[in-house]
Amino acid sequence: MKKKIALITASVLIFAVLWYCLQALLMPKYMDNKEGALIGEYYDNAGNNDVIFIGDCEVYENFSPITLWEEYGITSYIRGSAQQLIWQSYYLMEETFQYETPDVIVFNVLSMKYDTPQSTGDQEKREAYNRMTLDGMRWSKSKWDSIWASMTEEEREKEAIYSYVLPLLRYHDRWSDLKQEDFTYWFRSPAPVSDNGYLMQTGVKPYTTEHPEPPPTSYELGENSWYYLNKMVELCKSKGTQLVLIKAPIESPKWYPQWDEQVEQFAEENDLLYINMLDCQEEIGIDWNADTYDAGLHLNVYGAEKASRWFGKVLQEKCGVADNRSDTQISALWAEKAKAYHDRKAAMEAQKNKETL
Amino acid sequence: MKRRIVLLIVAALLLVCFAGCQESPVEPVEEYTFTYKNTEVKLNALAAPIVTALGDPFTYSETTSCAFNGLDKTYGYGSFYIQTYPKDGQDYIYRWWFVDDLVANAEGIRITSTKAEVEKAYGTEGFDGKNSYTMKQGNGKLIIILENDAVSSIQYEAIV
Repeated sequence: MKKKIALITASVLIFAVLWYCLQALLMPKYMDNKEGALIGEYYDNAGNNDVIFIGDCEVYENFSPITLWEEYGITSYIRGSAQQLIWQSYYLMEETFQYETPDVIVFNVLSMKYDTPQSTGDQEKREAYNRMTLDGMRWSKSKWDSIWASMTEEEREKEAIYSYVLPLLRYHDRWSDLKQEDFTYWFRSPAPVSDNGYLMQTGVKPYTTEHPEPPPTSYELGENSWYYLNKMVELCKSKGTQLVLIKAPIESPKWYPQWDEQVEQFAEENDLLYINMLDCQEEIGIDWNADTYDAGLHLNVYGAEKASRWFGKVLQEKCGVADNRSDTQISALWAEKAKAYHDRKAAMEAQKNKETL
Repeated sequence: MKRRIVLLIVAALLLVCFAGCQESPVEPVEEYTFTYKNTEVKLNALAAPIVTALGDPFTYSETTSCAFNGLDKTYGYGSFYIQTYPKDGQDYIYRWWFVDDLVANAEGIRITSTKAEVEKAYGTEGFDGKNSYTMKQGNGKLIIILENDAVSSIQYEAIV
């Protein structure tokens, strides 16, 4: 009998180990689509951030924590991911409070235009975007709730929850797409792709023509979006953290004046600071011929540094965020981060120049 | 016994790895179309021949999706726009939308058509109870938006 139990236990253990190994091999390493690695990089940098940015590409492409540090002594981290939806932002916020209690959380409101997982268009991409935000989160109740809030109807029908719990069920067919990086980083993490959540781009592609898009079905922001924004307000209040709403200074996708008015009214009613940076482009000094890498959809590093210089002043003057530069311990840590940032920038610029020649 | 267990474990893992890999055959479906100057624009169709047949667009722009390779391309033809999506190195028709009343769809609905005309063409099934109708056909959908009981937007979009 004892022998039988030992045999079964050993079999289960072997199965679990093999499962783990296969899963570690087949899960994407996001070396090409770096955005997928962003969420997971937070945990090594959690704690002692005075400001946390939460949102979609409008935060991780347009603000540079290193500039905020160098110019204002503000410690910050960006918990951004590609097409992050408001319910995912809420649960990331909830999870962040398990690691630290920042003075300010900045939430970019663009994602409020999507009211349900279904309303984001391309379902295949939606599922891939969900994975980029959810797979990188460590296991917690917040992750579990975020998965449930994020699944599309198709995913629910397929009972995809199991594949979030056991990602091998989702990525099992990647075996034919395996690359060298999958083996290199099978059991170890690759070098960080971001600088405190900021994903650097050094390219320049001027913004010369508008990017047309069909009008929305409704100019009313959806009930679900308001539900999660209200939850954010309550959560931040309960933790004594100031919630700041922003709209990044990007014109495409469109942020309609009707949406802007609704957010402005909400901010007023809830005593929140809301800044639509679209109205401040001139003051920020954005040059659309030089400060964007993809014709106006996102800022490049030069634009992000300008936006951060401008926004850092707001954080200090309107939100009272501290200048930590006199703290030697914090300064030493951030000097390292700044060095990595400038090294990355120099390397990317050198690569760009090489490609131009 | 031990060998049998090892084989069982390996078989179970292989099952997980290869399960669901076989793609089910794609059955042809009738997609939404729109005809402009004898050129048929069709959702999910290969974009190159359509764009060539339509001639030089008045406007053209490209956008990238966050985290995905390839470009979404938008061609403006005055009264309507066509947008494509990339797949396997080629562009396909993702959507088109009308911007004025100079063009009409196959059912004769155009911007400025009345709510009654829309309901005569499509019935009331797709009405959201507020201001829009969504109809589905093949792998696409048609969205008609009303403002003050008149059509203000007509959009066709692939479900991909």
